[in-house]
Amino acid sequence: MMNRTLSRARRAGAVTALALSLAMLTGCASSPETSPEVSEARKNLQELKNDANLAGRARVETREAEKAVVLAEESLAASDAELAKHRMYMANQKVEIARAKARTDYLEEQRQRLAEEREAERLANRTDEADRARSEAAELQRRMDARDIAEDEREAERLAQRADEANQARSDKAELQRRIDELQAESTERGIVLTLGDVLFTTGSAELQRGGYENLNRLVAFLEAYPERDALIEGHTDSVGATDSNDRLSKRRADSVQSYLVRSGIDRQRLSTSGKGESQPVATNDTAAGRERNRRVEIIIENPQ
Amino acid sequence: MKNRDGTPLTRAVLLSAVLMAGLLLGACATKPMDPPESLGQARDAIARAEQSDSREYAGSELDAAKQKLEMAETAADEQDMAEAERLAQEALIAAELALARTTAAKAEEVNREMERGAEALTDEMRRKEEQR
Repeated sequence: MMNRTLSRARRAGAVTALALSLAMLTGCASSPETSPEVSEARKNLQELKNDANLAGRARVETREAEKAVVLAEESLAASDAELAKHRMYMANQKVEIARAKARTDYLEEQRQRLAEEREAERLANRTDEADRARSEAAELQRRMDARDIAEDEREAERLAQRADEANQARSDKAELQRRIDELQAESTERGIVLTLGDVLFTTGSAELQRGGYENLNRLVAFLEAYPERDALIEGHTDSVGATDSNDRLSKRRADSVQSYLVRSGIDRQRLSTSGKGESQPVATNDTAAGRERNRRVEIIIENPQ
Repeated sequence: MKNRDGTPLTRAVLLSAVLMAGLLLGACATKPMDPPESLGQARDAIARAEQSDSREYAGSELDAAKQKLEMAETAADEQDMAEAERLAQEALIAAELALARTTAAKAEEVNREMERGAEALTDEMRRKEEQR
């Protein structure tokens, strides 16, 4: 009884072992079964492929992911749940790797674009700066031109003033000339020479005659008008009579004119006198007309120093 | 004696069945008892990811890789080489994902920096414009 029981037990053990080995064999084969998470990996892969920014990038990784997804989609027996889970994990990871690589690629391309944009902006900035510099230069030029105009105006003013001065000088000169003409004098290198004829004096006398006053008064007016001018009064005679007495006479006549002028208000300091006698004739002494011309008083009004 | 131990035929059948089961079990598992190569590859990949600052940019991916590696090592220690191989492959792929995401995050950072720079430039230009 015991033996039989034992033998049955052994037989059962053998059967179990056989059954187990059979189960093992079928375990290596496959039976239809789908995992919902596999379709998740497929969905992610599809999403990556449809992403406008990422599609067509990271081709190698995407192909790897594709293969992994296909592998994970293969049906496995329920007993191979661990393997199915593993394949699913691998597929998901590979899809995510492909996505990350595609994103990196996209970002690097964006960076390139950014760099180009920035360069363009910098260029635009520089162009702006150049424009500004140009307009500043134009402004500066404008100001300089304005200053030039002001300068020109000042110069014109200076010129006008100088012209005025010249005009003034010319009119002064004209005035002088008019007065010289009035004096019936003439301009020479020594100065303005006024010759008073012998009508001023009676023969042999140094007394002034009334008829010469008019000429002398004009001389006074002239000397008053030109206070910076000194006058040299020279007496001259003809050759009649002794030289000594002629010299003295000519000196006295010069002094007489000087006295008159001083009496008329001219500073004596401005008036020097000399008697030249018969030494400087202006005409022949052989004729009466010549001698008359030689008897004279010359007043030389010196040009201002 | 014979009756107690069963017939020699019964014994042979029993023995062969047990042997066959053992063989079949072995056939489904990876054969050698050395740790799988992928374990080393996973370690290398994790090291690369760490060198690329994945701790900062893809911390959870890196953690997952390390966890998988640890599990793979445990499985290898327990001589479950099939499990060790699978887990090592998962650790490797997780480390690769950590690295890929780190690279992408860094690229994004650089681009943001550049955009800020470009904006700063634009702002500066606007300010200059306003000063005029």
